[in-house]
Amino acid sequence: MITGTGIVKTFKQRGKVLGARDVQALRGVDFAIPRGGAASFIGESGCGKTTLGRIIAGLETYDEGEILIDGVAMSSLRHKQRQPHFRKIQLIHQDPYSALNPTRTIHQTLYAPLSLRAKQTGRPGSWIEERAAEVLTLVGLDPGTVLSRYPHQLSGGMRQRVVIARALTVDPEMLVADEAVSMIDVSLRLGILALLKDLRERLGVSVLFITHDVATARYIGDDGELYVIYRGQVVERGAVDTVIADPVHPYTQALLSAIPVLHGLEQPGEEPVVPLESLDESQADEGCLFARRCPFRGERCTSERPLLQLTEGVPQEHACFYPERRSVIARPMSEV
Amino acid sequence: MAKQAPGVRIDGLTVVYKTPAGELPAVRDVTLTLEPGTITGIVGESGSGKSTMALSLLNAVQPPGRIAAGSVEIDGLGDVVGLRGEELRKARGKHIGYVFQAAQNSLNPLKTVGKQLLDLGRSHGVDDLRGLVREAKELLGRMGLDGARVLDSHQHELSGGMRQRVGIMLALVLNAHLVVLDEPTTALDMITQANILKIVREVHAERGLTTLVITHDIGVVAEVADRLAVMYGGRLVEQGPTRHVLGAPRHPYTRGLIRAIPRLVGDIAEAQALPGRPPTLATVPKEGCVFRERCPLRMDVCDTVDPEAHADGARAVACHAVTVKEHA
Repeated sequence: MITGTGIVKTFKQRGKVLGARDVQALRGVDFAIPRGGAASFIGESGCGKTTLGRIIAGLETYDEGEILIDGVAMSSLRHKQRQPHFRKIQLIHQDPYSALNPTRTIHQTLYAPLSLRAKQTGRPGSWIEERAAEVLTLVGLDPGTVLSRYPHQLSGGMRQRVVIARALTVDPEMLVADEAVSMIDVSLRLGILALLKDLRERLGVSVLFITHDVATARYIGDDGELYVIYRGQVVERGAVDTVIADPVHPYTQALLSAIPVLHGLEQPGEEPVVPLESLDESQADEGCLFARRCPFRGERCTSERPLLQLTEGVPQEHACFYPERRSVIARPMSEV
Repeated sequence: MAKQAPGVRIDGLTVVYKTPAGELPAVRDVTLTLEPGTITGIVGESGSGKSTMALSLLNAVQPPGRIAAGSVEIDGLGDVVGLRGEELRKARGKHIGYVFQAAQNSLNPLKTVGKQLLDLGRSHGVDDLRGLVREAKELLGRMGLDGARVLDSHQHELSGGMRQRVGIMLALVLNAHLVVLDEPTTALDMITQANILKIVREVHAERGLTTLVITHDIGVVAEVADRLAVMYGGRLVEQGPTRHVLGAPRHPYTRGLIRAIPRLVGDIAEAQALPGRPPTLATVPKEGCVFRERCPLRMDVCDTVDPEAHADGARAVACHAVTVKEHA
């Protein structure tokens, strides 16, 4: 179980020329990802979802708040003591082309973390070879042909599988997949997503999926939770299918309305929500962060900031003073 | 100068690249007609030859590639494959606007957008540069931007979506009526993507254009295109009206691609991955069907004979299995 409470992160701008300002990447975010569970962070670029993923993977510091890994508070530990905890959380990068060292064979790539792991757990050297073959088989690669290859000899999809195999060498409890399929060929994407799903089911690894593509988030775990993040604040949070089918926050509705409709197969939603303006990070921070772009804003919205909460009659948490269900997503023709 | 949306007839186009293993075809025997005033979408994975084909419209395939066979007839220009030097340079920009893949990176970082616009005008011998700037401002305003501000900006001062719109403006400002957009929304957010696609549709209709959109994303084509053409391994495997192709895909590759899209509603187990992986220039089979390695309908004939496209009304499909089934 990995939980976070009130995570705040501000990127300080040095040398305030040309109106450079501090950027509030995260404004007090709470999350909880149970063991073997799935969670997805969705939002536009710049919303803070990647920063949050890096903080969870221990690659980025945070200014306020607390992260608990299996009940242990990270802020109470020194850097060295934290490492074995963060080892349990492995990040899968977006770009499988730059995530692997081009001068190392796949064997060498896997050997380094495995030998460390063997030392830690007191296993013999022969275990390393066995385990290397095992993790490659787990991700659907043939160890016989792949081990001696260099990254450039593999396709994008295979490389991403190697990256996942490398993450598995240290027996992680959670994989953080940051846009893990956006650079993979379309016909191979689903294979990688299915692999992550499969690892969840077979190994009980939890998966945190960071993306702007809601449909892929749903594919990884329709039993998981969806966090919709806007300008560093979680604006809606709930069960994946609830948030997709009955979103109440206008930002979530705008995000879902923007998904292309497969005309011929799908019927567009009845009440698509189009934001009034484009994202402008420099806009004022008073009131609701989405107010300026919100077609439904009321008087309260510009003076008061709504916080994430449960209200009557809405199954998911949301940060909106005027939550209202709208039918925004496209439905298959057969259902209409 | 009243120009009309031109029609484009691509016939038997083959583009080869010189490699140590000899000349290999990136695009092979592609025949496609862009009707005047329509938006056509070409869908394909990396290495399918879609960008190479789009560059052939400008006769801009760079060595080691060359157009080995076929013709590209554009109304008002003739066969661009035969154009050379100055003629070709003038055709690009004036007749054909091209919005490059990653328009985010295709602007000069050292010059303001306005300066680049003036460069464009001068290189095409535009006398009325004030008029050109006025036209550019109007176009940018049409796309929801503050024209004067954008022209005074350097590339780094604009967001991805804004740069993409600048790319579209530069492609249209010389009054081109044939526009090619190569991956117009890759690397953009969902909401920005929806905006850009809306702009593409509206500008297309208002200015009377013939538009070609190249993308790997079926969703993008579904949103904007009247007709859809699917490329695989350098071959055009299926084409037809977008709604028909999406609603009832016939080529096994098109079917596989559509089945591999995760959906927002319904059973997630319905989404199925395509087995195997797309071919590269070096691994495209020399004879027989390019898709057979991944095909669930593979027959003996597929190993030796490359299926020809069979037209059926507005649709065409290049597959032995589909043809056999329909003529049985």
